[in-house]
Amino acid sequence: MATAISTEKNFFEIKKGIASWLFTLDHKRIGLMYFYAIISFFLVGVILGLLMRLELIAPGETIVKPTTYNQIFTLHGVIMIFLFIIPSIPAIFGNFFLPIMLGTDDVAFPRLNLLSWWLYVGGAVFALLTLVVGDGPADTGWTFYAPYSVQTGTNVTLSVLAAFILGFSSILTGLNFIVTIHRLRAPGMTFNKMPLFAWSLYATSWIQLLATPIIGITLLMIVAERVFGIGLFDPSIGGDPILYQHLFWIYSHPAVYIMALPAMGIISELIPSFAKRTIFGYKAIAYSSMAIAFVGYFVWGHHMFTSGMSGTARVIFSILTFIVAIPTAVKVFNWVATLYKGSIDVQTPLLYALAFIFQFLIGGLSGLVLAALAADIHVHDTYFVVGHFHYVMFGGTGFAMFGALHYWFPKIWGRMYNKRTANIGFALLTVGFNFLYFPMMILGLMGMPRRYYDYLPRFTDLNVISTVGSWILAIGLIIMLWNLIRAKKTGEKVGRNPWGSISMEWQTKSPPPLENFDKLPELNEGGPYHYKH
Amino acid sequence: MGHLVLPNSGHNRDPEANKMGMWLFLFTELLLFGGLFIVYFVYRSMNSDAFLHASYELDVIIGTINTVILITSSMTIAMSITALQKGNKKLAMYLLWATQAFALAFLVNKYFEWGIKIEHGIFPGLDHYNHMPSGEKLFFFLYYFMTGLHALHIIVGGIFIGVVMKKVQKGEVTGERISLLENSGLYWHLVDLIWIYLFPLFYLIH
Amino acid sequence: MKDDNHPHIVNYKEHFGTWIGLMILTVMTVVVSVTNANLQMLTVLTALTIATTKAVLVAYYYMHLKFDQKIYRIMLWVVMGLFVSFMILTIIDYITR
Repeated sequence: MATAISTEKNFFEIKKGIASWLFTLDHKRIGLMYFYAIISFFLVGVILGLLMRLELIAPGETIVKPTTYNQIFTLHGVIMIFLFIIPSIPAIFGNFFLPIMLGTDDVAFPRLNLLSWWLYVGGAVFALLTLVVGDGPADTGWTFYAPYSVQTGTNVTLSVLAAFILGFSSILTGLNFIVTIHRLRAPGMTFNKMPLFAWSLYATSWIQLLATPIIGITLLMIVAERVFGIGLFDPSIGGDPILYQHLFWIYSHPAVYIMALPAMGIISELIPSFAKRTIFGYKAIAYSSMAIAFVGYFVWGHHMFTSGMSGTARVIFSILTFIVAIPTAVKVFNWVATLYKGSIDVQTPLLYALAFIFQFLIGGLSGLVLAALAADIHVHDTYFVVGHFHYVMFGGTGFAMFGALHYWFPKIWGRMYNKRTANIGFALLTVGFNFLYFPMMILGLMGMPRRYYDYLPRFTDLNVISTVGSWILAIGLIIMLWNLIRAKKTGEKVGRNPWGSISMEWQTKSPPPLENFDKLPELNEGGPYHYKH
Repeated sequence: MGHLVLPNSGHNRDPEANKMGMWLFLFTELLLFGGLFIVYFVYRSMNSDAFLHASYELDVIIGTINTVILITSSMTIAMSITALQKGNKKLAMYLLWATQAFALAFLVNKYFEWGIKIEHGIFPGLDHYNHMPSGEKLFFFLYYFMTGLHALHIIVGGIFIGVVMKKVQKGEVTGERISLLENSGLYWHLVDLIWIYLFPLFYLIH
Repeated sequence: MKDDNHPHIVNYKEHFGTWIGLMILTVMTVVVSVTNANLQMLTVLTALTIATTKAVLVAYYYMHLKFDQKIYRIMLWVVMGLFVSFMILTIIDYITR
């Protein structure tokens, strides 16, 4: 049974010491532990990305050898996908804010939540071990395509086991969130009165739960292949390498929505909070999250248009892929419509949200080019694809995460950052980002293949622009992080609700007490986003 | 002021949440095996004759016995829940012991079944296996992989039930707080469910 | 959140009846397989149909789904539907190559 705990102290003050963090059952502390771990890996991934860009500033060898380059881009992919972007928003902000936004004091299974974090750390350790043992990190690309992944001498087995453990962590987080949403909503909060961030996490959790096991078993098959050498995916012994790709993308395409949906949830929180206006089309946004999750399961084949799938299958997957664009566009229209005639308060989080919409739009529309079967044959495996998914993943999810960080920073730490510096950081990030990735799309259309170590001299100019963009982006990132770190120590203290939002998490103290609320949370009349003027 | 307990606190005992958590976990297990079933069906459609031929190597009688064993063990654990709910702790314990005995019998059967095949050199890396046509190799690889993973689940299930038995004995799991026993039952039925599909797909494709 | 405090107790008879049903289906699937060596495609279909019937019996009675809240049945069928779609979409690629 729940026992009453003091609400005078906030969750930082109630217990001190390393052990009180490492073995905490408090969802807020677990969220913050994810935050520190995930941001660290993000920075490692960024450094690897900068190295790649530096290598590509000129044709030929610049700073590293080809094998090293292959390992760098594999490690960049593995870290950014499995250690950063898949867990990012759900594990950090989902853990911290889902229970608060539902008006409860914890997730349904706090111990399982802690286990998820430890599994994440365990998986990360495995991924890092590949650096120091054997023949170095895998050089297969983050997709571990067979049969190369079965033949290469690099540490594929360890990398694959790392991904397997991280998958487990992701599954357990998803499981926890689904049960939390079903069982712990505040009295009176029906599904249709739930915050949109919670809706997006609900959709995400179902993907985590149902798609991840397939990659788990597929990766185990790769391990078995490497141990026994059956030829499960080797055509010379009756196997089929395309089957590996099917199984891989049955998970990895829905995984794209694990990355994108929570970001959309964040934007659905930011826009009404700063437009001070009732969100347009609450139900459309909520249900389109479920629709994206559902349709997203059936489109994986568009990663394999040039792999040798049958013509019929390619046409089917192409059509199905176009369908995903519908619920996504519904969301974008709703966000823009919410801004219309709102009393817009331009703050840093809103800027990130607007940049998200702009960049996600470019990413999404270029995705339609790739979904079109005929066009894809031309640009498949070129830099167009690299540009496309960085626009969606970084320009979309990454920016949404930074927006969330600036939005909830005062709630988490109880202090406000310097808004001017934050805006400068934002401007540099956005400019750098677009300089970094837009040239890639043009390069792709010109025919520059992805993952290549070397390129023709005529691609040089655009590659230089891209690399310079990566430096601007890095400076923006440093300014943003430095500003936040400083604010955490010396920022001006803020009250419960610095943004004047009506979301439930702003009803409690900043930082919140251990059990989240010091008074019974009240549901907003007329729905979670009903602003009265 | 200063103290507050929410009505929807996550620290309340909630059997329904436990059950839902268990079901969600079972879904992940289903899809874990699901990936293997996809591989099975694809390779079977590509090598149907080889699969047919290879399946004759498996002993239908042992397979049938194991099916009966698992179905019966499913019944005993389901009955033990009924017994505990009706307050008959002793009967519940007997039924759980019976379930454990069936689990052991299943594994012993499996041990002999695998043992005979390995003796004949049918295992990846052994002589007979290496000289098989590729389709049969795939069949036997999948056979070992899937029944092996299933056997692993039997072992885990047995341990899970063992832990629950200890708690029933100590009175920590009772008719009123039966969540854990129900969850171990659900897990055990899942193991049965998967076998229900493994059995015809490997033993009965004559 | 209704029905939380009134667990439905299944009696021994029902459990035994389910067992009888499962046994009959097991015998059926073995007999069909051993006697009809030539009906390849048909045997697969019969085998899968019988297996699915058995699975539904186990899920609805032993796993208590029939007496649980509706949400569990919805979840199970959606998950199974999803899995079958994965399977069909993959197989389509192979049979149309």
